[in-house]
Amino acid sequence: MEYALPTYSFVSPPELSQGVSTQYPVVVIGGGLTGLTLLCDLLQRGVQAILIDEDDTVGVRGASSRGICYAQNSLEIFKRLGTYDRIKAKGVEWSIGRTFAGEDEIYSFDLAKQSTHNASCQPPFINIQQFYVEWFLVERILEMSPNAIRWKNKLSAISQDENTVALTVDTPAGTYRCAAQFAVDCTGANSFVRATLGINAPRATGVDRWCISDVKFKHQPAKERWTWIKAPFNDDRCVWQHLMADDVWRLDYQMSVDDDPEYVSRRDVVEERLRKHFGDDVEFDLMWVGPYSYRDLLIDEFRKGRVFFAGDAAHVMSPFGARGGNSGVQDADNLAWKLALVLQGRAGEALLNSYHAERREAAQVNIKATARTNRFLTPRSRSEHALRNAVIDLARAQPFARALVNTGRLSVASAYTQSPLNFGRCAGGSIQNVALDAAEDLSAFIARQAGRMVVVAHDRMCYQGLDCVALEAGFPVRFTVLRDDTSEIARQLKLEHGECALIRPDLHHAGCIPAAQIGAVLGFIFHEN
Amino acid sequence: MKIDANIQLPDDFYAALIEAHEGLSEAESFELNARMVFLLANQIADNSVLLACIDAARQR
Repeated sequence: MEYALPTYSFVSPPELSQGVSTQYPVVVIGGGLTGLTLLCDLLQRGVQAILIDEDDTVGVRGASSRGICYAQNSLEIFKRLGTYDRIKAKGVEWSIGRTFAGEDEIYSFDLAKQSTHNASCQPPFINIQQFYVEWFLVERILEMSPNAIRWKNKLSAISQDENTVALTVDTPAGTYRCAAQFAVDCTGANSFVRATLGINAPRATGVDRWCISDVKFKHQPAKERWTWIKAPFNDDRCVWQHLMADDVWRLDYQMSVDDDPEYVSRRDVVEERLRKHFGDDVEFDLMWVGPYSYRDLLIDEFRKGRVFFAGDAAHVMSPFGARGGNSGVQDADNLAWKLALVLQGRAGEALLNSYHAERREAAQVNIKATARTNRFLTPRSRSEHALRNAVIDLARAQPFARALVNTGRLSVASAYTQSPLNFGRCAGGSIQNVALDAAEDLSAFIARQAGRMVVVAHDRMCYQGLDCVALEAGFPVRFTVLRDDTSEIARQLKLEHGECALIRPDLHHAGCIPAAQIGAVLGFIFHEN
Repeated sequence: MKIDANIQLPDDFYAALIEAHEGLSEAESFELNARMVFLLANQIADNSVLLACIDAARQR
């Protein structure tokens, strides 16, 4: 069985059909998960951006397999962008994970019971094939702007000066040039833009090999995430067992370093491996198979002049914890509101510098977390093996050792500890999308503010002596008070009486500060930093 | 003897531990682990806890 992906037709752009020469506020290059999220967000914020993509469909043609786990923070972002309901309807929610070594379960967790996840209106995770997430974004974009995505448009040259980015684009109808105030490279790990602009992209390729198999079963396994550190049916190497939409299961088998990638992905070899895993009488339909080896990549500067880098074009990591795709979505979420405010003349260009500080830190944290998991699963020496095995042995009876078992630290919203936009207590953390009352959640409330930052205090008394009207006229900001003093949002913000908290349009906390300082802080965020 | 999670930053600790073994021969790693046992034991101090740990470590 194969997936049927939608295709979109090429439309001759106005540069070719009408001979016009246009400058766009933003050109997004690459229509993968990150690029589509960014375009959707920009359009929703009223920025008439365009996206060029060399293909005419979502996903990668012929390859169904890519990201499958969408973390709570991504789901909160998709809620704001209007695609969450479709993801929820199509995807599979899960919160229970189990880890096995040999025949024994050594550890399990339920994310829904953990305080890091249980305040949000969105679940900890939804599993769904990446192309569905992209497909829903495309359809949402088409509702807003029918020609914003330019299919079969391939970037062939890019250059920039102080004021503009110049792009040359090849299409089936010929080549055209256009200009942009800003461009965002979302073209993935092998970015041509990055190479052209001379961005240093140091990379490390891991030694371990995996074989990914997407399978549809007649009789389904439990709807949980199962991981084996030492799977008896895979020569004591790792196995990941995950569910997706359409009752398809993602099975990742760790291979030996000297296995031939072509051999391990051969259909009959994969089928034999599946029978070893699920029993000789298992009935299944193989959807997709592919070999995979892990690598890391992190660029030095997430911004070069008027060009920004997002998603895999900026950072690549091992898939442990689902940090790759989810961090691309967060990149887009971080950049969109800043670009919109700057392009609308509501903030100075310096606001854009925080993108590099915040998202590079996030990428560093993600790469470190995935590298540690990798190291736990693939020890490099016999002593490292001995330590790892000691942890596994202890974990069966000693709960403390389970905290040391590392089968992936799941993607969470990044905290921006180094941000130039941080002021006061608790600055930089992400705020979960809590319900404000029966009718509205935080994300919907923030979305109603048209790009404004929200200042919140326990009561109006806190703003005494402040000219809130003047501040609201001078900055993209809105002053509010809590609807309910004991609410979850007050707990999330750690807001105390007499101070106010600043909530950014991407639901990050800019800090709890004394109200008297608010004018200076807003000046710094929007005009000086 | 504590059996519930008590190490403040498990992943940081594990990373530091394997980092300490980097580049050592097996014999050197073995000795490093032995020194670690005595250093940690001195932090624990309580004899009944130390004996309980030895007992727990012997069980597989």
